[in-house]
Amino acid sequence: MMNPIKPIPCEILEVKKETELEWTFKVKTDVVPHHGQFMQLSIPKVGEAPISISAFGDGWMDFTIRAVGKVTDSIFNKKPGDTLFLRGPYGNGWPFNEQFKGKHLVFITGGTGLAPVRSMLNKCYNGDVAKSVTLISGFKNEEGIVFKEQLNEWKNKFTTFYTLDRDQIEGWNVGFVTEYVSKVDFEAFNGDYEVILVGPPPMMKFTAQEAMKCGVPEEKIWVSYERKMSCAIGKCGHCRIDEVYVCLDGPVFNYTVAKDLVD
Amino acid sequence: MNKDIDVKKTRINNFRQSKVPGEFMLQLRMPGNLIEAKYLDVIKHIAETWGDGLFHVGTRQTLNATGIKYENIPAVNEYIEKYITEIEALSDVDMNKVGLDHQEWDPKSGYPTIGARNIMACIGNKHCIKGNCDTTGIARKIEPLIFPSHYHIKIACAGCPNDCVKANFNDFGVMGVSKMTYHPERCIGCGACARACEHHATRVLSLNDKGKIDKDTCCCVGCGECVIACPTGAWTRSTEKFYRVTLGGRTGKKDPRSGKLFLNWIKEEPLLQMFGNWTKFSAWVMDNKPQYLHGGHLIDMAGYHKFKEIILEGVELNPECLVAENIYWAENEQRGNSHLIPLEKHAKAGPR
Amino acid sequence: MGCKVDYKKINKILTELSKEYDIYAPKRFLKAGRYSDTDIIRYDIIEKAEDIVFDEKSDFPAKEVLGPITQTLFYFTEDEYRESKVSSKKILIFMRPCDINAMEHQNKIYLQNGGYADLYYQRLQEKVKIVLMECSKGWDTCFCVSMGTNKTDEYSIAVRSENDGWLVDVKDDEFKKYFEGEETSFDLQFVEENELEVKIPEIKNKAILTKLKTHPMWKEFNSRCISCGACTIACSTCTCFTTTDIVYDENGNVGERRRTAASCQIDGFTDVAGGGKYRTTPGDRMRYKVLHKFHDYKARFKDYHMCVGCGRCIDRCPEFISIVTTVEKMAKAIEEIEKEEC
Repeated sequence: MMNPIKPIPCEILEVKKETELEWTFKVKTDVVPHHGQFMQLSIPKVGEAPISISAFGDGWMDFTIRAVGKVTDSIFNKKPGDTLFLRGPYGNGWPFNEQFKGKHLVFITGGTGLAPVRSMLNKCYNGDVAKSVTLISGFKNEEGIVFKEQLNEWKNKFTTFYTLDRDQIEGWNVGFVTEYVSKVDFEAFNGDYEVILVGPPPMMKFTAQEAMKCGVPEEKIWVSYERKMSCAIGKCGHCRIDEVYVCLDGPVFNYTVAKDLVD
Repeated sequence: MNKDIDVKKTRINNFRQSKVPGEFMLQLRMPGNLIEAKYLDVIKHIAETWGDGLFHVGTRQTLNATGIKYENIPAVNEYIEKYITEIEALSDVDMNKVGLDHQEWDPKSGYPTIGARNIMACIGNKHCIKGNCDTTGIARKIEPLIFPSHYHIKIACAGCPNDCVKANFNDFGVMGVSKMTYHPERCIGCGACARACEHHATRVLSLNDKGKIDKDTCCCVGCGECVIACPTGAWTRSTEKFYRVTLGGRTGKKDPRSGKLFLNWIKEEPLLQMFGNWTKFSAWVMDNKPQYLHGGHLIDMAGYHKFKEIILEGVELNPECLVAENIYWAENEQRGNSHLIPLEKHAKAGPR
Repeated sequence: MGCKVDYKKINKILTELSKEYDIYAPKRFLKAGRYSDTDIIRYDIIEKAEDIVFDEKSDFPAKEVLGPITQTLFYFTEDEYRESKVSSKKILIFMRPCDINAMEHQNKIYLQNGGYADLYYQRLQEKVKIVLMECSKGWDTCFCVSMGTNKTDEYSIAVRSENDGWLVDVKDDEFKKYFEGEETSFDLQFVEENELEVKIPEIKNKAILTKLKTHPMWKEFNSRCISCGACTIACSTCTCFTTTDIVYDENGNVGERRRTAASCQIDGFTDVAGGGKYRTTPGDRMRYKVLHKFHDYKARFKDYHMCVGCGRCIDRCPEFISIVTTVEKMAKAIEEIEKEEC
């Protein structure tokens, strides 16, 4: 009998401190996920947590982890060469190949919400897969900025709006991401675009509303949800909202579905 | 009216003197505080026939009728024969004794003694969701061991250590407790028991990092709040009943005090054996001459160690039972230092 | 056609069957109830006919056999997760129709949902044979007829308990050899009518559903419901669980990963490590549970409502909240919403 929840040991290749609390772990694995999927990360004795894949390539995956709980705190004690236990990939990722490729893409992220879209940004940056990329990325403060070098790099190719909630630093705007939605010239995209939103629930809600005010239809908005999960395979029930299981049917939802998902 | 009345005799007969000359208040016992409602007709009839039509719920849970004229006492006594016989039969009381002595009871004469007071009880597990024991049942088992007797003793039975019946202010407070069993395999780690214990009881439970419960067994009062709170049945009460007994509680104008813990986790059989020694102890303290002194004072006179020696004589304590090695009384003196009196005035215990 | 077996013979058969099967049935646990001197009836391994409680509804459902409240998933060391093992014996469960129908829902979640089969459930479920306990009257909190779960033909053996023995109908050839005896007619009965009846309202569209979620009717539970989760533990169909890792000793590297039944009614069910928290009031959580049982589940699997009307949630609720009354209130709320719509 197959056991879909058995964790597999994987070697940590690299640990990169993005911020004090957010580190990126590069792990060796042959698993090839879709953009926006997630894995269950385990540490024996501590537990298991769903973590989105913040980048992947041939034989590796990145997880950008915020140390906010038992499992993630314990992962922070790991160093290159140590073992992390993985299972997955799980969930419905972004319909990158099916719906995003070849269009104007607008990414709007709040904080570490940048992680689940990072693999797509890399793909767009390294090849001509999108007509254009706009990235609106907001963080609480300077200390919270993740993927700093890449954010700088992306400026070369993407239209970018980087903003901090309150702090003023050179080269950055001040305010919430919602304030920059109207700066995107959606009309110029001629209907050939998609909007991708990831961040805390209120940020996604207000940003979606803002986008719709700018004439973006619901079906062009995509979001990714974060919920408590114990199994990631539709058994434990923690992530269910209405008839939807975030682990199976999400974490990525089109806004036509997401707008009705009331917890 | 020629008022030559021996009020001591009427008192022993359970008729209490009124401030209105020649009037008395009858007190009907109902040990265990639960009787058939039909008996309310008895007190109603007495109140309306011989009393002033009023009914008073006695502070020790007796059925009282005020305003009974002295000359009507014999008629009332004759009328309550049936009540006394039926109610005391519920407890298998031998009415033909007083204390340790055989004494034929005249059924038409009313109550033979007032000494051992009505045994109070809360409603207990007959009804109460918090109760751990049948308080009426245990009161009725104690009743024949202490009544009829001229030796004063106040006992109350509480279903749980919450002690709604205020057993803490009786010579003996008997409280139903349980030894709980934890079934970790049924525990979902919700922590409801720990919260209930913290809120209602002694905070002996805590949720550990394994998602299960740790217990500080030493300080558990056995109240059963954890069982009530648990959604899964992971806590169960012991099938056997245990009791917690407080000692020496009292009210009073001189030195009221809350009872001190005397026995913990005692089972029913040794508990009853212990009460079986009460009369013997009282007789020893007062050298077989009963006085109007409550049990707690007798314990004070004898000293706790002497009391312990006599009251536990022949008692086969269950292995779980813990007994107070010493008791450190803490009276709440109505007047500071009122316990300091000349030596010759100190009450003395033992043979005179 | 059935046969009549006296208790002496039944016990012989049960002893014989026990060699091959762990036999589970509702069993009385004396004085193990919530309140002093009350009993609990729950599923456990039985040895003889007298252990089985036929004349009362069990407080806890049959689901505990295949989905124990606490279950070990893996044993681990620093570098390996090893699956827990189960008994090699097969499983025979005595169940009423409600519990048998509930097992279908359990199967759907554990074996089918998302295309994943849960190994731990599957390895037990595959070994199960069912003994149907005839249930012809039910109790005052049952509403199986309303839910259409009063009947079933999913069983190997059907049993009617009588004073002098059992009337038995054996469908499964495997068991026929045990019950060779005098043939008697056995007209298996099911509950045809419950004291409690409930009509499950239809929620016609998302707009109504969204409005229902914020309807003031749920506020009542903010003061009434204590969020203890007793209803979900007693529920025949609830399946939720949480996994926990434990270490056997402080310094050791060995331990196990367990799963433990979880309840959407208990605060913290949705808590995400980063601080996400949803359905923060008892009313929200009650709404979530009720809609799952009477809307969401059916919306996902397109067949039946999840609730099987066993009524155990009503029996076990320490605050006397009735799911039937709640559904009736919900029906009224939907009616109100529909009226506003037009």
